[in-house]
Amino acid sequence: MTYSIVGKSVRRYDLPEKLSGSSKFTSDIQVPDMLHGKILRSPHSHARILSIDTSAAEVLPDVHAVLTPFNSPSGRVAPDLPILGTTVRYIGDEVAAVAADSEHAAEEALAALKVEYEVLPFVTDPREAIKSYAPAIHPEGNLIGGEPMVLSQGSIEEGFAEADIIVEESFTTPAHASAALEPRAAIASWEGDKLTVWKTSRGVHPDKMSLASALQVEPDNVRVIGATMGAGYGNKDETRLAAIVAALAQNAGRPVKIELTREEEFVAGRKRHSTETTIRVGVKNDGTVTAIHATTLMDTGAYLSSGPRVIRRAGQGAIYLYRCANVQYDGYLTYTNQPSAGSYRALGAPQGQFALESTMEKVADALGMDSLEFRKMNHVGLEGQPGERITPADDIIDTQPIEGGIPFSSNGLRQCLDLGSEAIGWATRHERNADQTGTMRRGVGMGMFIYRGGPGTATNAWMTLNEDGTLQVTAGTMDVGEGNSTAIPQMVAQELGVAYEKIRVLFGDSGVTPDAPITSGSTATFSTGQAALNATRELKSKILAAASDQLGVSADDLQIVDGVIGPKTGGASMTLAEVAAKTGQIRTEASLTPGSTDYIVNSFGAHFAEVEVDTVTGNVNVIHYVAAHDSGNIINPQLAINQVEGGVSQMLGFALIEQMITDPGSGATLNGSFLEHKGATIQEFPNIDVIFADVYDPVGPFGMKALGEPPNIGVAPAIINAIYDAIGVRIHDLPATPDKILDALDRKERGE
Amino acid sequence: MKPLQFINPSSIQEASQLVQPEDASAFLISGGTDLLDEIKEGVERPDKLINLIELEAMQGISFTSSGFEIGAGTTLSDIASHPDIVRDYTALLQAAESVATPQIRNVGTLGGNLCQRPRCWYYRSINFDCRKKGGSTCYAQVGENKFHAILGGSDCVIVHPSDMAVALISLNASITLTSASDSRNLAVEDFFTGPDVDITAENVLVPGEIVTSVTIPATTGNTKSIFLKAKERQGMDFASSSVAIAMEVSGGTITSVRVTLGGVAPIPWRAVAAESVLIGKSLTGVDLKEVGEAAVHRAKALEHNGYKVRLTAGLTRRAVDTLLSEWR
Amino acid sequence: MSGFNSNVTLNVNSTSHDIEIDHRWTLLHVLRDELGLTGAKRGCDRGECGACTVLVDGKPVCSCQMLAMQVGSREVTTVESLGDASHLNPIQQAFLDKDGGQCGFCTPGFLLSAKALLNSNPDPSETEIRSGLSGNLCRCNAYGRIIDSVKEAARLQAEA
Repeated sequence: MTYSIVGKSVRRYDLPEKLSGSSKFTSDIQVPDMLHGKILRSPHSHARILSIDTSAAEVLPDVHAVLTPFNSPSGRVAPDLPILGTTVRYIGDEVAAVAADSEHAAEEALAALKVEYEVLPFVTDPREAIKSYAPAIHPEGNLIGGEPMVLSQGSIEEGFAEADIIVEESFTTPAHASAALEPRAAIASWEGDKLTVWKTSRGVHPDKMSLASALQVEPDNVRVIGATMGAGYGNKDETRLAAIVAALAQNAGRPVKIELTREEEFVAGRKRHSTETTIRVGVKNDGTVTAIHATTLMDTGAYLSSGPRVIRRAGQGAIYLYRCANVQYDGYLTYTNQPSAGSYRALGAPQGQFALESTMEKVADALGMDSLEFRKMNHVGLEGQPGERITPADDIIDTQPIEGGIPFSSNGLRQCLDLGSEAIGWATRHERNADQTGTMRRGVGMGMFIYRGGPGTATNAWMTLNEDGTLQVTAGTMDVGEGNSTAIPQMVAQELGVAYEKIRVLFGDSGVTPDAPITSGSTATFSTGQAALNATRELKSKILAAASDQLGVSADDLQIVDGVIGPKTGGASMTLAEVAAKTGQIRTEASLTPGSTDYIVNSFGAHFAEVEVDTVTGNVNVIHYVAAHDSGNIINPQLAINQVEGGVSQMLGFALIEQMITDPGSGATLNGSFLEHKGATIQEFPNIDVIFADVYDPVGPFGMKALGEPPNIGVAPAIINAIYDAIGVRIHDLPATPDKILDALDRKERGE
Repeated sequence: MKPLQFINPSSIQEASQLVQPEDASAFLISGGTDLLDEIKEGVERPDKLINLIELEAMQGISFTSSGFEIGAGTTLSDIASHPDIVRDYTALLQAAESVATPQIRNVGTLGGNLCQRPRCWYYRSINFDCRKKGGSTCYAQVGENKFHAILGGSDCVIVHPSDMAVALISLNASITLTSASDSRNLAVEDFFTGPDVDITAENVLVPGEIVTSVTIPATTGNTKSIFLKAKERQGMDFASSSVAIAMEVSGGTITSVRVTLGGVAPIPWRAVAAESVLIGKSLTGVDLKEVGEAAVHRAKALEHNGYKVRLTAGLTRRAVDTLLSEWR
Repeated sequence: MSGFNSNVTLNVNSTSHDIEIDHRWTLLHVLRDELGLTGAKRGCDRGECGACTVLVDGKPVCSCQMLAMQVGSREVTTVESLGDASHLNPIQQAFLDKDGGQCGFCTPGFLLSAKALLNSNPDPSETEIRSGLSGNLCRCNAYGRIIDSVKEAARLQAEA
C-alpha cells in the first residue's frame, strides 16, 4: 500500500530550530528572579542521617533556601522514594539541597552543611543481597516481592525429560548508563499555590500526578511543561529532582533551577539493570526445542524505579521467541546499595535475549546445525505458541503474553532472517574468512528478537481546526527525541488530506494537553498515533458535514485533497479556512486503550554482524552490520532508519566497551564521566544496512508496529556470536572489552 | 570552586616568583585542560592561577642544525601539523595526534601534557584519600585496577598518562626547566619520577620551576620512529598500553634503538631489555617474540591488569615489525 | 563569598562585549548565562563530550574547558553566527537535508566542528571526517547521518 505522506521521509519540523541553536532545552530556560540549586549527596553506601546542621549555610548572604529530610514535604515520589529521606542507600543518594544566587554560591552552601551519619552495613553484589543475612536495604527485604517472578507454560520437567541434548550457559551484563547528552534539569516556580515546573520529561501528565502527590498539593494546581529534550532513551522519567526543586522554590519564595552535573547524571540518573542470566535449553536430535528455562538475577540498585517492568521484560524472549510448549522464566529482582537502575531503551530485553541467543549458538553447535537454520526451524511463527488462550475473548491481548493459542497480528521474522542473512553473506561467511593468518581475524554472528509491538496504556489526543483554517494535533505525549512529533502529524495529515506542513503540533504540556502516559515501551507513535487518527476521523467527518451544507453535495461524495474540500467528481470546492470561517473552531477528542482482542501485536527482527578482532590489542571492529526489522508499515523511512542506526550504535557500547564500574570496597561509582564510561563515538560507527520486512499490520495505525526499542536487542548477540566465529572464544560477561578478549585468548591457548 | 584569581605575569621570571613555596596555592596554568578538571573535581583547590599562555618565550617551534625546540606553550595541534615534524618525527606526530580530541589538542600544550596528573580514578575522586594525596592507602592495589601499572609500581600503582613523554623519550629529547634565578636542562627521561622518590609527585619540578621548552635532537637520515597506542575504544581514551620506538638502521643493521613504554608504569618506561635484544641485529635477524618478552620481562600483574602483559608484548612486536618493514 | 572580578572585552560573533566576569567563569558560562547565547550546551563540563564546542580564532575548543579570562582578544564564534531557523547557512542546510541531528543537543557543537574541518580541508575523506569530529559525542548515535551531512556540506560549499 502506498500513501502520499505516510511512508515518506518528511522533514522533521523541529530540526531547523535545533540547527540554529535556538531550541530551548530545560537548561536554556531562564525564569525571572531564578535561583540556582545544588544537591548534597551521600558519601556512604548505606547510612541513617541523624542530623543536619544547616546554620552555617543559612547564614551565607546569597543562600535563600536549604532543604533537608527534616523540613521537606513528607509525600513520596514513588512508594520507596521520599522527596528526601533519612536513610541513604547508595553513594550519590540525595541528602539535602540548597538554592542560592549562583551555582558557585550553592556549592559553597553545600560545603557548609554538617551532616551526622550513622553508617550501616552495605551490600553491592546482588548474589549476596538476596541472601537472608544480607543487610536489609528497605524494610520489606531485598528480594522484591520476597520471591522470584515465575512465568511458565507447560512443564519444563517433561520438556527436559524429552530432550536428547541439554545445554546450559550463564551470562552477565553490566549496568550501563543511558547517558543522554543533556543532563537532567528542572525549574520550579510558584505563584501562590500554583506550581509550574519545566523539566526533562518522558510524560508530563504522569509527572504532574507524581509531583502533586509528593508535594501534597492538588494536581490541578501543578503544570508540568516538557521542554525540548536532549534525549531520554527511555530514561528521564521520575520526579525526585523536580520535587526537590519545587520544595526549594517553595522555601525560597523564588523560582529555582537545578541542572545535574555529568557525574550526578551518571550516578543518580537511572541505568540499565545489570543481570546474571542462566539459560537451559533442551532439544531433540532433530533440532526441535522441547524446553527452555531462563533464570535472571537482576540488580535494581537502591530504589525500585521501573524494576518490575524490566525483570518482566527480560523473560519475554525465553518465553516467546522460540516455539516451545514447555517454558519457564524465573526472575529475581533485588535491591543493592548501588545507584538505582531504571528504564533504558528496551528495558530487560537486551539482557535476556543476549543470553538466549548466545546459548542457542551452543545448542545449534551441539546439534551440528547451522545456527541460522536452527532459528528458521524453531522461531515462533504467525500462529503463535502452542497452547490454549486464557485471556477472555473481549479483552485486549497483552503484548507480552505467556499463554499460547493466540496468533500474532503479523510476524515478519522469517523475512528478517532471510533478507538479513542474505545481506551479510551468511552462506559464504566461512568460505570468505577461511585460512586467516596474521593478527586480525574476522567472523560473522547473528541474533534474533521479539518485542512489544506498540499498544500501550490508555491515551488521548485532540484535533483542532482553528477559525483561520490552521490545524493542530494536541497530545500529552512527549517526543523524547525519537520523532513521534513528526510521525504522528504525518499520519494525521495523510488521514485528513492536507499537506504534512499544515499540522501544528502541541505535545507535552500538562496545562494544555490531554492525559497521556509516558513515552515508553515503543508505544507512543502507535498508541497516541491511533488516538490522533481517531480524533482526525471525527474531525474529518465534521468538516465534510459542514462543507456538505455549504456545497450542497452529500458528504459521502466529498473528499479532502491538499486542504481543499470538493466533490470526488469535481466541481465547486472550499478550503479548510473557508469551512472554519463558517463553523468556528472545531475540536475533536479521542480516548483510546490501544491493542487488539484477537492478536498479539509484536515486533520482530534479526541482526547480523561481521567483525574483525585484533588479537594483539583485543579490539573489535565492526566491518559490516545488517539490521533487519519487522515493524510493520514504516511511517517515515528516514526516522525509522535513524532509530535503527541509533539503537545499534548505542548498543555497540553495551556489547563492547560500556559499563558502570564500582569500587568493591566502598560501593562508590568510579567512572561517572564520558571519558571513563565509554560510549561509542563517531569513530566506532559501523557501516549499517537497515532492512525493513514488507509487512502491513492489520491492527497498527497505517499498518505500523513499534520500532523505538527493538533495534537495541539484537546487537549484543550479533557481536558476541561474531567474536566467537572469529576467534573461537565466547564472551559470557559483557562488555567484551579488550582485556577480556586477551584473557580469553590466553586461556584458549593454554587449553583451558 | 572556591574564588580564585587569574593572573597574567609579564615574564617567566615573574611567573616563577608567583609560584614560590610560600604560596603553595598558586598554580601555573597553560592550556588548562587537565588543571581545570582537577579544580572542578575538588582535587586541587588553588587560590591563584598564573597564566603562561601569553608568554612569548614559551611559544613556537624553531629548528636549528642540531635539532628543534618546541616551546612548552605550543599546542598539541600545532605540533601535529608542523610539516617538519610530520615528515621526520613520526613518533611525535603519532603521539600528538593520539591525544584526546581535536578540541583538547587545540588548547592543550606540550608542557601541560608532560605535567598532567594521573588518571587513576581513586586519585581523581575526593572520596578517596589515597597515598598520592597524602593519605595512607592505595585503593587501586585491592580495588579496580585494570588500568594500573604492571611495571615500576610500589606503594602507588598509577600509570603516567602522557603520550608525548613516551615519544619524546624514544626520540632522546631533553627538557628545560626555568625558574626566576636559574634554568636546568635534563633528559626527558630524567624529568619523571616514580612513587619511590616522591609518591605525591610525578616529576622533579620544584616550586618556582616552569617547563619552558623541549628539545629534540636532529635525527639522521637513517632513523625512523613509531608510536602505537592501545585503547579500549577508538574515540578519546588514555593508553591501556603504548610504545614508542626510534630506530637507526645502517648497512642493514640496527645501530641504535630506544624503546619506551607508556600506560604501564608510574613513569614512561624505557624498555632497556628490549633494546638490548634489538641492538646490533640485522633487519632479518630480529626475533619478534624475544623482543616482546623482553619488553615485559619484569612485569608484575595486579588482580585485573594481567592482560597488559600480553598486550604490551604484542604491541611492542607490532611496533618493531612495522618499523622494520619500512626498511625492507 | 564572591570571587575575583575583572572587566574584560570579549569578541563574540564579531561583536564586542564589555562585561564584568568572575575569574572562575568558564567561557561556556559567559556565553550561556551572561550573553544569552544558549546554543553551546553543557553536556559534561569536562571537555569530554564536545556539546559546548565553539570556535576560538577559527579552531574548535570546548568552551567549558576555557576560563573566560583565558580568551583575551581572540575571536569567539558560536552556532548563533551561522544562521537562524529560516535562513540556514550551507552547513546547516546540509545537516537539514541529510537529517544530521536527532534530539539536537549535540548539533551546535557538531556544526562548528564541521565548519572548522571544512575550512582547513574542503574535501575531507570519510576517515578525515570521523577523525575531525571525534571530539563530539552524539548519544542518539546519529553519526552516520552526521557523516553524510558533512559530505553534503562539502559538496554545497564547493558548488557555491
